[in-house]
Amino acid sequence: MSLTKVNASALFKKKGALAPPRKKLKVPKLFIFLCLSPWLFGLIFFTAYPMVASFYQSFTKFNLIDSPKWIGLQNFHRMFFEDDDFWKALKNTVWISAISIPLRICFAIFAAWILTKPKRGRNIYRTIFFLPSMVPAVAGTMAFTYIFNPAYGPINKMLQAIGIKNPPFWFLDPKWSKWTLIILGLWGIGDTMIIFLAGLLDVPVSLYEAASLEGASGWQSFRYITLPLITPVIFFSGVTGVIGSFQYFTQAYVASGQVNDYSHSMYFYATHIYYSAFKAYEMGYASALAWVLLVITLLCTLVILKTQKRWVHYPNGSLFK
Amino acid sequence: MKKRLFASLAVAALVGSSLVAATSAAQAAPRTVVVWSPYQTGNLELWNAALKRIEVANPGLKITSVGSIDMAKSLAAINAGTGPDLSVSNGNGNLGWFCGSGAWQKLNTLIAGANGIDMKSTFNAASVASSISNNVRCGLPLYSEVFAFYFNKDLLAKAGFTTPPKTTTELLNYSLKLTTFNTDGSIKTAGFVPWAGYYGFDMDSMWLGQMFGAKWYAGDRSSAFASDPKWAAAFNWQHDFIAKVFGGGNFEKGSKLLLTFVAGRGDEWGTSHDFMTGRVAMKWDANWMAPLYCTGDDWAMAEKCTAKVNFGIAGFPVAPNNLAAYGSGVVGQGQIGISKGSKNVKDAWIVMKALATDTKLAAAWDSANGSPSSLLAKAARPASYPTWYQPIYDVLTNPNSAYHTVKNTGEHLEESLLQNLMASWQAGDTSNIKTALSDLANKVNQIVARNN
Repeated sequence: MSLTKVNASALFKKKGALAPPRKKLKVPKLFIFLCLSPWLFGLIFFTAYPMVASFYQSFTKFNLIDSPKWIGLQNFHRMFFEDDDFWKALKNTVWISAISIPLRICFAIFAAWILTKPKRGRNIYRTIFFLPSMVPAVAGTMAFTYIFNPAYGPINKMLQAIGIKNPPFWFLDPKWSKWTLIILGLWGIGDTMIIFLAGLLDVPVSLYEAASLEGASGWQSFRYITLPLITPVIFFSGVTGVIGSFQYFTQAYVASGQVNDYSHSMYFYATHIYYSAFKAYEMGYASALAWVLLVITLLCTLVILKTQKRWVHYPNGSLFK
Repeated sequence: MKKRLFASLAVAALVGSSLVAATSAAQAAPRTVVVWSPYQTGNLELWNAALKRIEVANPGLKITSVGSIDMAKSLAAINAGTGPDLSVSNGNGNLGWFCGSGAWQKLNTLIAGANGIDMKSTFNAASVASSISNNVRCGLPLYSEVFAFYFNKDLLAKAGFTTPPKTTTELLNYSLKLTTFNTDGSIKTAGFVPWAGYYGFDMDSMWLGQMFGAKWYAGDRSSAFASDPKWAAAFNWQHDFIAKVFGGGNFEKGSKLLLTFVAGRGDEWGTSHDFMTGRVAMKWDANWMAPLYCTGDDWAMAEKCTAKVNFGIAGFPVAPNNLAAYGSGVVGQGQIGISKGSKNVKDAWIVMKALATDTKLAAAWDSANGSPSSLLAKAARPASYPTWYQPIYDVLTNPNSAYHTVKNTGEHLEESLLQNLMASWQAGDTSNIKTALSDLANKVNQIVARNN
């Protein structure tokens, strides 16, 4: 009788000495519930309830003082057909997502790749590269508004010193303001970089050695070994990047306030939600905006999820199924 | 029979005495009024002293004062049904929202009632006018804030001017003389900077409108941005000013130079402020900035000015066709209102009225911070005040000084929208001001219609 035909549990029952049957740990259900209760409390009262409430409020006129008044789909009609700021905010948000996500990924891969090179003092370099991501967003943004100030900021002083007569106005110029925010984002790339660094260090050295013996160039090694093997990290960064960029708020809000961005060149979707809720006091409309944002983010994420089969390679060498 | 009678009388007496006891207990129950304010330290002490006086004058009334509470917190609490009886808002901007949304209760009945107030004989004209549509009032003024014209006497004298400019034409001519450029063509010092975002607490467009006598609303509800030609005149003057003073006739050049100049401004709340360093010679500003300009580093009122800048204060220069309004400025007020859901409106009104008409509190605040009272009573003025500050009182009492009519537009969105337009116009991003003003008026009308 081959082993494969033997019922394993029956075997254990017969020959208990080999491996005693595992004893089921008896934990009272109440204890499990009690352990979970803080999280459950948070989920119900701070996530589920606000979500349900905001879904209901998205169909109402609610000014925070009077009770919400049911108005059907009016908020959504206004959003798509009457609200210029909605389209402006959406356009700005799509722009920053489309530009910043690929740039962040490329920059993070590059920074991580550089950090794999030093033989000595690796940890010091890694700490230096990671530090900016630990600076609070507000402080970092305020520092950037100073550094990029066209009148006295060191960046323009430097650019003028090397012969650029009319350097950009950065945050003050609607054509440059979003690019300046992107530079700010790249400066704080540490968190993404650290994930890519882990991904790069995971690539088996033997593959590079084999490629080297075959005469592959550095670019070929990167293109055909490194890149495919870090696609799961790129995928992860892409998804989290989309979710994060559609909620982009703090840096833009602080920078706008610092430089008086009356042109609304740094007016993003999350800012529009904030203004609708807490400046115009239209909580119903803000809720509708938030739900549309959720749908947009969900759709973008689904598109990335659907396409991953074509380009994400997992460590076992097979395509993700 | 007698026994029954005695028993009945005893029961009746017992019930009667219980009722009396209950009634008197109800009467003796503490009457409490909760007051939230944004005040801190010295101002809160003066405020609490005034509340103490009200308690003494109204035996049985207990007032709980909580300081350091801004309106956002008050609003959240009012919304949650846990708000105070009385809350305070700095400035008029939100009055339309508080009144229109019902966050603050309407006061018309209380004002006209037996324990009411004769507004016109009690408060200055600007304060009386600070109501929303149809004379609906939901706040009482606590103090005034005055926005006037500040000028550097030394710089003006150096350029040959002995008095501040009275008209917008003079303002332009003064600025032409006072503006200097560096060798690289950038602006070194500016005469006057009519630029949204150059200091100004986001109020530059409001002040620009005041110089031209432009109205914010026509009739009761509709926005006057398009219908009042003074708005277009104001913006065209700004355009012309930038071109002539800073661009040598070229608007684009002037706008670009000003953008760099504004980016290099000094800190608004310290000695590096452009007005203190002489980088700008004339500007619109608030009365609360005066103590800083006077002392250089202190916000308290001083008898004699010791700072480097030798400055004067006057009314805004006005458009040549608005000369009658010369001497005026923009005047707003700190406001107090009764919250929605207040359980003790009667006592809240007693406290509110007493606070708004407390001359002792008004004089103390004025003496400490230079916050002029909204009251007409002479006792509301400090016994002595520095002579250099007199122009602030002159602007305050000028019959043409006012804050624009406010409507329920959320957090004064019409002001933000106008400021955005001014910025877009000064940057050259808006080419047709009449169309832009018309679009703006439509937008404001939509917001007002939606919120009412």
